[in-house]
Amino acid sequence: MKTILTALLFFCSACAFAADNGVKVPPFERVQLGNGTVVLLMERHDVPLIAITAVVRGGAVTDPVGESGVASLLAGLLQKGAGSRDAVQFAETVASVGGQLDTAASTESISVSGSFLARDQQLMVELVADMLQRPRLELAQFETLRARQIEFIRAAKESDLEALAPIYGASHLFGGHPYGRSVDGSEASLAAIKHADLQRYYQDQLGADRLIITVAGDFKTAQLKQRLSRAFSGWRKAGTALPSIPKAERVATRRVLLVDAPESVQSYFWAGNVAVAKSDPRRPALDVTNTLFGGRFTSMLNTELRIRTGLSYSANSHFDRLLQTGHWEMGSFTQTQTSIQALDLMLATLDKLHESGLEPTLVQSGKSYVQGQFPLALETAAQWATQLATLEFYGLDRRYIDDYSRQLGAVTPADAKKVIDEVFPPSSALAIVVIGNAAAIRDSLRKYGPITEMKLADPTFGPVGTE
Amino acid sequence: MSRGLLRSALLAAAMSCTGAVAQVPGADQVQAVTLANGMQIIVWPDHDIPNVALFNWVHAGSRNEVPGITGLAHFFEHMMFNGTTTRAQGEFDRVLEANGARNNAFTTNDVTVYQDWLPRAALPTVFEVEADRLRNLAFDPKVIESERGVVHSERRLRVDDSYIGRLQEQVQATAFLAHPYQIPTIGWPSDIQSWRIEDLKTFFATYYAPNNCTLILVGDVEPKSAIALARQYFESIPAHAPPEPVRTQEPRQEGERRVNIEADAQTPLLQFAYHALSGSDARQPALELLTRILTDGDASRLHRVLVEEKKLAISADSFIDRGFDPGLAWFLLTLPAGADTKQAEALFDSEIERVRDAGVTAQELARARSQALADFWRGLATIDGKAQALGQYAVLQGGYQRLFEAPRAYESVTADDIRKLAADLLRPGNRTVGVLTAATPPGGQGDSR
Repeated sequence: MKTILTALLFFCSACAFAADNGVKVPPFERVQLGNGTVVLLMERHDVPLIAITAVVRGGAVTDPVGESGVASLLAGLLQKGAGSRDAVQFAETVASVGGQLDTAASTESISVSGSFLARDQQLMVELVADMLQRPRLELAQFETLRARQIEFIRAAKESDLEALAPIYGASHLFGGHPYGRSVDGSEASLAAIKHADLQRYYQDQLGADRLIITVAGDFKTAQLKQRLSRAFSGWRKAGTALPSIPKAERVATRRVLLVDAPESVQSYFWAGNVAVAKSDPRRPALDVTNTLFGGRFTSMLNTELRIRTGLSYSANSHFDRLLQTGHWEMGSFTQTQTSIQALDLMLATLDKLHESGLEPTLVQSGKSYVQGQFPLALETAAQWATQLATLEFYGLDRRYIDDYSRQLGAVTPADAKKVIDEVFPPSSALAIVVIGNAAAIRDSLRKYGPITEMKLADPTFGPVGTE
Repeated sequence: MSRGLLRSALLAAAMSCTGAVAQVPGADQVQAVTLANGMQIIVWPDHDIPNVALFNWVHAGSRNEVPGITGLAHFFEHMMFNGTTTRAQGEFDRVLEANGARNNAFTTNDVTVYQDWLPRAALPTVFEVEADRLRNLAFDPKVIESERGVVHSERRLRVDDSYIGRLQEQVQATAFLAHPYQIPTIGWPSDIQSWRIEDLKTFFATYYAPNNCTLILVGDVEPKSAIALARQYFESIPAHAPPEPVRTQEPRQEGERRVNIEADAQTPLLQFAYHALSGSDARQPALELLTRILTDGDASRLHRVLVEEKKLAISADSFIDRGFDPGLAWFLLTLPAGADTKQAEALFDSEIERVRDAGVTAQELARARSQALADFWRGLATIDGKAQALGQYAVLQGGYQRLFEAPRAYESVTADDIRKLAADLLRPGNRTVGVLTAATPPGGQGDSR
């Protein structure tokens, strides 16, 4: 035991030294085009690759009510034919140079990310410009993609319940608030979307004034800047203004959404509440505290549900931080028979966080862990392209990265106590979701609060009327 | 023959002008040693970030199991975190995390790999605790019982609550009559419930020996000092008698095999598993290019025909086993609700027949090659990717040097190589077909047929 203690002390001081040498943002250049598009360029010459990220503000929060999934469908359609290339020619062109182009929608944006060999820089710019400015949005492609998205949701209900729990969770927590929408839609909302809706959405919600482009990798800044400026200067602005997002209210009591999955042999839990925005200045203390509660293997949650009791393969918690606010969630799963035991333990662990707080040695361990792992997200050109886009999107500056390690080092147990009180919900104020065999667990779940029940087979992610 | 060589040499020259077949940067700095006890150490310095990836590849997987102890290699992956005679359960993780390091592990048919990602200052600590668990692993009956529950939960997640996982398990068990690749890595439920502490001790004594491990370090380290640390912490662990080799070879398959699962599912599934190659087989690059042509991206053959044109599937994927012994080449189709599995299978068959008879076009080959090369570079962009690739080649694909020859190996594959390989492997008589059908087709979907 003594040797371990010595090792801890010695190497933790070593970690602080490493943290001082932590990763800083390499030089980059920022320009804004006349139409509002922001371009950020960072040269990295270690491998002959080039990575691009293009982010358009909007995303699922701008989906029309009852049509969640429009932004996601549009994102998918951007590479199904654009400019002079139909869908097949487009895919062949990307593959023929070994490129990668992915599109995605999130709650607040639509993004295109690509990775190409450095020699294909010009082609990369042309393809991304075509996708954003000249997508074909053909009817046949729209119908195919919409049908497939619906089938993907059905397939996930039969092979990946763990991934669905957070979608039910956001819907249950945020209700009719835009942050409660399923980004990829539901079987019902996708079926309601018409081709004309998608075309209108493209005109209204995509445009140069909403666009951030970041490129990192093996290129010369002057040349690429000229190329991007030529390719994007002529784009119009979005047809409508970005809507302001209403304030989301924290839930003050406990309520349960039970999703009946009669075939399932396990119950999948999710519990959360409204928390903080990306720009929240308490970030270092929040990150350290969440790491210790549910963000690493020896976290309180994983220790209780996995290491100590063997009830589950995994238990964790995390923050989803957005522009206006965001949420905090915890989740786990266990076999049907031990559902209540595991859920009780999850809530009791949250109670323990509030009652006992975090020991100073544990806070020190959490700080070292977050500091030690941080550089691994800042290694590749693609990661830097994403990081730069994130800074710009949320209005943060380079200190968000440069100062993070130092700020982590300054977190005290009192800071942790403060964010536990202010941000982490008590176990009495949670939106809870349980996906599982309702007949076996329904009665026992009543003690947690009022139950709303639906079936896994239902075509929405919330009870009728909330989407 | 000479024409093929000339052509690839020209292409390589052409591409190296643009940087595609450049030397892998830093490849010349890789250093490998074998300690006196037989443990292999391979170090690749990369100073981009102040971190290190340290992976211990233990040459033991579900291939080394027998009935009664299936799943034991994977269970060991869990037990290696559960305490030693010098450190209590949980101490390993606590020490690592307090020093800024994260860890994980995975088990396959062939190997169990222990991964640490750490700030460079934590390197001596990581060496110390890694050596401790290889030397002094504890077998506490209470901990074993608790961990049994964890593994059961993992099985429910990946297999019992996943139709894709359930079908794959059955297909794999059917594809091999004799070879232990038939064993699911997670283990059969009755074995998870009943293996004994003596089984664990025997397995540890047999396979967790320094001479059965390959240690990979990539990142902010100097090879000299990393090797010195390896000597300091690992060299005194005694070598064991080498484990018995797996002697059984799978006999040649004599005809197509089929597995059906009838489930209360909406989404039918089709899986095809063809007996294929070992990881060190020189035809691996050709097989990779062949499967890329069939399933990599929206321009690939199976995706285009099955997903985009005929809409008989919502996804078409493939993967290749690259183990010690000849494994499987898999094709996985997920069908839309209510779809006709026979129609989808017939279309899959006609595409496979086409590639067997007529091969692939020069354009398709060039495209697959570009994809393989670009993915090769992307894989080497992180210390994690480098440690994975280096270990994979060192242990399972004929030596780590072959990693650096991979770009050239892709270049030298010809369309004729691919056609021959397709004709050789992608025969109905060489495969197992798995079908998961919906027992009761959902209402309103029947008219689509």
